[in-house]
Amino acid sequence: MQKDLEAEFLSDFEKNQNIAHKICRMYTTDKEAHNDLFQEITIQLWKNYSKFRGDAKFSTWMYRVALNTAISLYRKSTKSIKTDHFSDVAFRISSTEYDDTEEKQLEALYKAIHQLNDIDKALIFLYLEDKNFHEIAETLGISNVNARVKMNRAKEKLKSILNP
Amino acid sequence: MDLLNKYKETWSKQIEMPYKFSTQEIYKMAHAKSSSIVKWIFVIGILEFIFMNSLYFFMDMEEAYKQYEELGLQSFVFYSQIVAYAILIYFLVQFYQNYVKISSVASTRLLMKKILQTRKTVRNYVFFNLSYLALTMIVVTIASININIEDLSNKQILLVVFLMLIATLIILGLFWLFYQLLYGILLKKLNRNYKELAKLESEM
Repeated sequence: MQKDLEAEFLSDFEKNQNIAHKICRMYTTDKEAHNDLFQEITIQLWKNYSKFRGDAKFSTWMYRVALNTAISLYRKSTKSIKTDHFSDVAFRISSTEYDDTEEKQLEALYKAIHQLNDIDKALIFLYLEDKNFHEIAETLGISNVNARVKMNRAKEKLKSILNP
Repeated sequence: MDLLNKYKETWSKQIEMPYKFSTQEIYKMAHAKSSSIVKWIFVIGILEFIFMNSLYFFMDMEEAYKQYEELGLQSFVFYSQIVAYAILIYFLVQFYQNYVKISSVASTRLLMKKILQTRKTVRNYVFFNLSYLALTMIVVTIASININIEDLSNKQILLVVFLMLIATLIILGLFWLFYQLLYGILLKKLNRNYKELAKLESEM
């Protein structure tokens, strides 16, 4: 039973691990912290997986757990050193698969996102992932109206960072 | 097109990420030990409960009871300790219940609220304990003064009261400082994020 659950979890998570990586890339600035946060997200997902009964999409459920881990549960370990982790070429599978201009644009976007506070990061992430306001409000535990107001402010902030 | 929409489009093209973990690696990570803030709060909370109650082991209780008897305080000590233990159990149950209710599946605001509540339970317990300690000190001082009232001058009584107040304030102050430091460091991020979301709710 446990083994089945585990296999199911591994397959679900492996398919959706991009979500966690995107969140890690938003909330951390070096490879070590990225992996650290990724590990904590994995632990939290697995810990709660037996309670996840498939009444929501795995990815939807994962947004919540992963964002909660990044915002509230994760503690930056003191040993990590701040470096720009995107210059870390060894971290990439292969650079040929990427359109350079797109990667450059993404790099600029992540760099701008790093300057936002934790809550704004979550809002921007959900916006970029094309979530509706209802889902955003529910994920963060705020009202729909507040989600809209807060989102507009976060977007304005991000815009002014991207295009000063 | 809106600047952010352009970025959003690029974002959606991030299908193949530059990072990927194998199933094997994910398996290992899932079984690793969590170092989340909740775990820290739980461990520190338990340690505080133990510490607060083990203080008695450092004191010579027989000697203390003898002194209480001399001061005629046996029944005060007896009943107040029964109350203190009942309150300890109440706090432990509260602490455990709050801890269990912490769920990373809850909404962000609720999760943060639950974490902060769990910590507050311990803080309240420590404050209760310190008040109990202060109360005992006050009662003992009053009883001592009462017994020796004929041998003491007004000046001496004032001095005793003054010293007791200073001692109480120093102990409370040290604990307060310790608390500010410990939880200030531990919960800096959480407090900031919670305020950010809560602020929003109260603004409307």
